[in-house]
Amino acid sequence: MGFNVSFSKRKNEKFYLPGQEIKISRRSISTKSYTTENDNVSTCRARTWFTLCCFIAVYLALCIRVSYVCLGNGINIDTAISDQMAEDIFHFKNPVTRADIMDRNGEIIATSLPTVNLYANTKKIREPEEVAIKLNEIFPNDSYEYFLSRLNRKGAFIYLKRNLSPAQQSQVNNLGIPGLEFENCEKRIYPHKNLFAHVLGTTDVDNTGISGVEKSMNERLTTSTKPLYLSVDLGIQNQIRDELIAGVKQFNAAGGAAILMDVKNGQVIAMTSIPDYDPNENSKFGEREMFNFATKGIYEAGSVFKVFNTALSLESGKVKVTDRFDTSHHIQVHRLKVTDPHGSHGQLTPEDILVESSNIGSTLEIMRVGKKFQRKFLQSINMDKALTEFELPELAKPWFLSEKNWGETSMVTISYGYGISSTPLHIITAFSAIVNGGMYHQPTLLKNVKHKGKRVVSQKTSDSMRTLLRAVVTRGTGRRANVDGYQVMGKTGTADKLENGHYNHGKSISSFISAFPQSDPQYALLVVIDDPKASKETYGYTTAGWNAVPISRNIISLVAPQLNVRADFDLEKQKSIVDAAYKVKKQPL
Amino acid sequence: MGNIKTAMVVLWFMVTLVVALGSSVLKNKVQGLERRLATINNNIQKDIADIHVLKAEWSHYNTPERLRKLANEQLSLENAKPEQIINFSALHFNYENNDSEQSVRTDKKSLTTLVKAEAKKK
Repeated sequence: MGFNVSFSKRKNEKFYLPGQEIKISRRSISTKSYTTENDNVSTCRARTWFTLCCFIAVYLALCIRVSYVCLGNGINIDTAISDQMAEDIFHFKNPVTRADIMDRNGEIIATSLPTVNLYANTKKIREPEEVAIKLNEIFPNDSYEYFLSRLNRKGAFIYLKRNLSPAQQSQVNNLGIPGLEFENCEKRIYPHKNLFAHVLGTTDVDNTGISGVEKSMNERLTTSTKPLYLSVDLGIQNQIRDELIAGVKQFNAAGGAAILMDVKNGQVIAMTSIPDYDPNENSKFGEREMFNFATKGIYEAGSVFKVFNTALSLESGKVKVTDRFDTSHHIQVHRLKVTDPHGSHGQLTPEDILVESSNIGSTLEIMRVGKKFQRKFLQSINMDKALTEFELPELAKPWFLSEKNWGETSMVTISYGYGISSTPLHIITAFSAIVNGGMYHQPTLLKNVKHKGKRVVSQKTSDSMRTLLRAVVTRGTGRRANVDGYQVMGKTGTADKLENGHYNHGKSISSFISAFPQSDPQYALLVVIDDPKASKETYGYTTAGWNAVPISRNIISLVAPQLNVRADFDLEKQKSIVDAAYKVKKQPL
Repeated sequence: MGNIKTAMVVLWFMVTLVVALGSSVLKNKVQGLERRLATINNNIQKDIADIHVLKAEWSHYNTPERLRKLANEQLSLENAKPEQIINFSALHFNYENNDSEQSVRTDKKSLTTLVKAEAKKK
């Protein structure tokens, strides 16, 4: 049925009643008494019909749509909802709010687990003695008196026990005691226990970081649930820690620290300090266990500092690698008498000075250069300030003399590593710059952060230093660190411990700083042993060559293959091994 | 006119009835779907939490110490030594031409034996 409605008869000058001007064709609706022009009743009827039909049409359309939706596949959810709606519907949040921490390969090294706390609304608890007995049965580690004292307090929220296991929660639930309630929370877990103790730090009961990366990156970890990737490597860290523990035990030392750094960008691959602690344990640890020697331990590095002394001497242009220094006699600088512990060595080149670790030679070098250049150079490698950009809160400022106190004597003692104290992190970062071509990179613990380096020595000086440092390992005090194929270079250092303002000659800190391979240095390793003891194995020596060096050798031979450092073996020798293997294969026994 | 009017009213009622019925069915279906969605959402949420816990457990079971112990006990594997790494250039196999006739597959055991013998000699 259709309507043929028109307003063709409408005249502008004439007054029409509502609907009067609508003309409906007679052919469309046949009504005998229907007039369109002047009959008001007919006009009203027409309007009613029109409205009725409109309603019916709308209802029919609705009916068809509803039938279609109800009986068929009327709604395609992909197209029927907007992207925003889809995001609202399908967006799931991880119940754990504190982000995980990963190593450089994506292995979890810190995570949080959803757990519950048990609290009491003591207003609802009628018999606290009975409740305390039942709770004591479930939690035997906490005494009956503890629970009773908590339950006797007045309050709607009294903590009874934090971080319940699912089994404990179920047991408490089964008691059915009104007033015992649970609060959802999360607990920080460190699956590798002590391994990253000083790097990661720990959190308090409210899951707020209180030390280590947990503290320094607390905001990042709580505002984003995306994992935080560190530059450390789980496997390498484990190897280094194991070797360091074995070394500390073997030499009966008070402790030790080791850092492995990527020399090309300052990323720390492994960092450990012994003794350490298990951050999963809630109990309070001793000061020594909590102390991160790698970043906070200030010590006089001893002969390790001769690396910087030689580098700055070469960089100044006043000393050349071919120069010779007469070290046959001691040197008197004011009241200081500089001698070599192993006797005089005669004429020494800068390479020999490092190989023999000659204090006299270092003194002669720095006397050519002068204290101004020395101080400026040490400042350029950040030996005068804390490395505040490093992502740990446990940092120390080196003990660095003021310009006023930087006299002749200080200049001389600093040349062989006394009179200036710094942390292992300072030393390895500066050493990396010396061997990597001369670029100083700020150390970092983050995988995707690469600080722009600054030049501290020329490429030429860096190349010369590599040759000199390699000689220390091939024919000097670092001989025991010579791992075949990896062209290890480095420098040993043993310094008496400073206790209460006096040097204790019976106690020392020995260290060995190394890098490998010499042709294209990729990694630097620093091993520091605190107060090693002499033994039969070391023939009564406590110098670095007998403790820190063999530990370094063990570490390098284990981690270098894992780090894909290209070994530079004797090709002919390798071929003979392969040939022999081939023959064995062809002629089985 | 009267018949048409009656027919229209009946039609109206029928349409209203169908729409009402349809709406009711639709509402019912939507409620069912919403319940299902809520259940699925809840399950997914639980699964996410479970996966998180499992990842932590996986990490706990994959501590280097444990893996080393297992590899040593079950597979007799040890850390690779620097002298066990051979350069490609030391091998007879011509990789670029994929020369299979001249290819040499170095036997791990025999090579290790030789390396050990070399080390002993040292």
